[in-house]
Amino acid sequence: MVEESPGVSSGYTQPWFCPSRCKPHHRCRNHSRCRRTKNRAVSTFMRAIQYTCMLLSYLIEHKADKEKLVMKLKQLESSMSSGRKMFRLGNMVHALVAARRTTQLPDVVPRFCLTASNLTRALYFICDAVLWLKSVGLQPDVDKPKWRNWATKCYYFSLLMNLARDWYEISWRLEQAVQEKKTKRNSFWETHNQELNCEKCDDLHGFFLRLFQILKRHPPLLLDLVKNLCDLSGPLDALGIYKTNAGVIGFCGILSSLVGILTLASPHLKLQQ
Amino acid sequence: METWVRFSAQSQAKERLFRAAQYACALAGDTLRRNGASAGVLASVRQLEAHLSLGRKLLRLGSSAEALEAAKRAIHLSDMVLRFCVTLSHLNRAMYFACDNVLWAGKTGLVPSVDQEKWSQRSFRYYLFALVVNLSRDAYEIRILMEREAGGKRAKGSENGRQLRADNGLQQLGLRLQIQLRLLIHVLRNNPPLLLDVVKNTCDLFIPLDKLGLYKTNPGFVGLCGLTSSILSILTILHPWLKLK
Repeated sequence: MVEESPGVSSGYTQPWFCPSRCKPHHRCRNHSRCRRTKNRAVSTFMRAIQYTCMLLSYLIEHKADKEKLVMKLKQLESSMSSGRKMFRLGNMVHALVAARRTTQLPDVVPRFCLTASNLTRALYFICDAVLWLKSVGLQPDVDKPKWRNWATKCYYFSLLMNLARDWYEISWRLEQAVQEKKTKRNSFWETHNQELNCEKCDDLHGFFLRLFQILKRHPPLLLDLVKNLCDLSGPLDALGIYKTNAGVIGFCGILSSLVGILTLASPHLKLQQ
Repeated sequence: METWVRFSAQSQAKERLFRAAQYACALAGDTLRRNGASAGVLASVRQLEAHLSLGRKLLRLGSSAEALEAAKRAIHLSDMVLRFCVTLSHLNRAMYFACDNVLWAGKTGLVPSVDQEKWSQRSFRYYLFALVVNLSRDAYEIRILMEREAGGKRAKGSENGRQLRADNGLQQLGLRLQIQLRLLIHVLRNNPPLLLDVVKNTCDLFIPLDKLGLYKTNPGFVGLCGLTSSILSILTILHPWLKLK
């Protein structure tokens, strides 16, 4: 089951913001930015509940005497899912506006990746709206499997584009780190004439060490990477590329929803677009 | 497109849109039924209305806590009557949302033993009481503004007062009523937020009155009232200066 996380298009920032920082922001109802955050928090929370139900029903499915509970969990999951689908109805416009904004980014690779990601997300939302029309009964002759397949493919492609952008961010930082180490090594060698263990710099162990250091130093990048990787499990399973089970998808969904809630609670943790 | 993004980012905007769509479905369903539409069309309109209603109930799951928070904030209002009215209104809304959550749990099958009819009646009773309190708050505001206007007019000139001494009591009463009505219209015209709030609450009033059986109208009229009040609240979201503070 492909379930879109609302977080990515939230990179679009409103043209205005409240100039005065009001302290009790978490209860604030006066400022448009605060209301926006509350809106997204609601849908992220609903997503978390949906995936929790998915995971729990997978875990207790085969236990005896738990059929009623499993049925209730599945009902809660489906009501959350249909509610979220209804709530998402206007989001294709959000994705198109975000795509227009990302065409103005300075670097080529993020510009291409994020614009492609936003455009395919817009297509995903269109497919999602058609599926909603079918589920509500307004368009009964919609071919549900075909449209669902298209929706999954669009979502999968947009996740791949997001991951490509994440990889670009990581790779130039890696290169920068390697350059810094080389200049440090050269100056160090000249002044102290010691044997450095720089042979390890170029092998796999050193690579992972540098990667870990970069991710530790840039929490927004780490969170975005984790979120995209977790979101990938759903489409991989639905498209048959890498079949897992409902438990894995549920767990990954919960993780990505938690990351989403975290970035909403602390906006400095959001990867800037 | 930018307008839609800005609008839908408001927390109540989508819920209001769905409310407008739900009541439009009710109105359309009644109109189609009167004009002899097929059973299939009527069934699909009713199904859409039910979906919208359930989706709105889901979106309102946290509204009870929000209404309680609003009631807590309203306790600090300076005017005593306003403080009482607004706090009571929020408390009633909180109870209405709580009953609504129970109805949602029953409809989705989580708690199948919920008596839908009983809880529905309860929730409409709280809703009706909240609307009545809102209308009394509006009446109080109107009264204050009218007194202020009348006081201002009296200060301007007392010649008009002499005209009140008409020939008989009935004419005097008629003149007084006319003056009050003119004052009321003047006050409402100068205060669009107040006028909007009065119209919205009055339209909303017909919904619980019909559902509780106190003043039965027809589903089409209820749908029209609901649609009007939803459109008015969407207007207050689009133009925040229209919201009654």
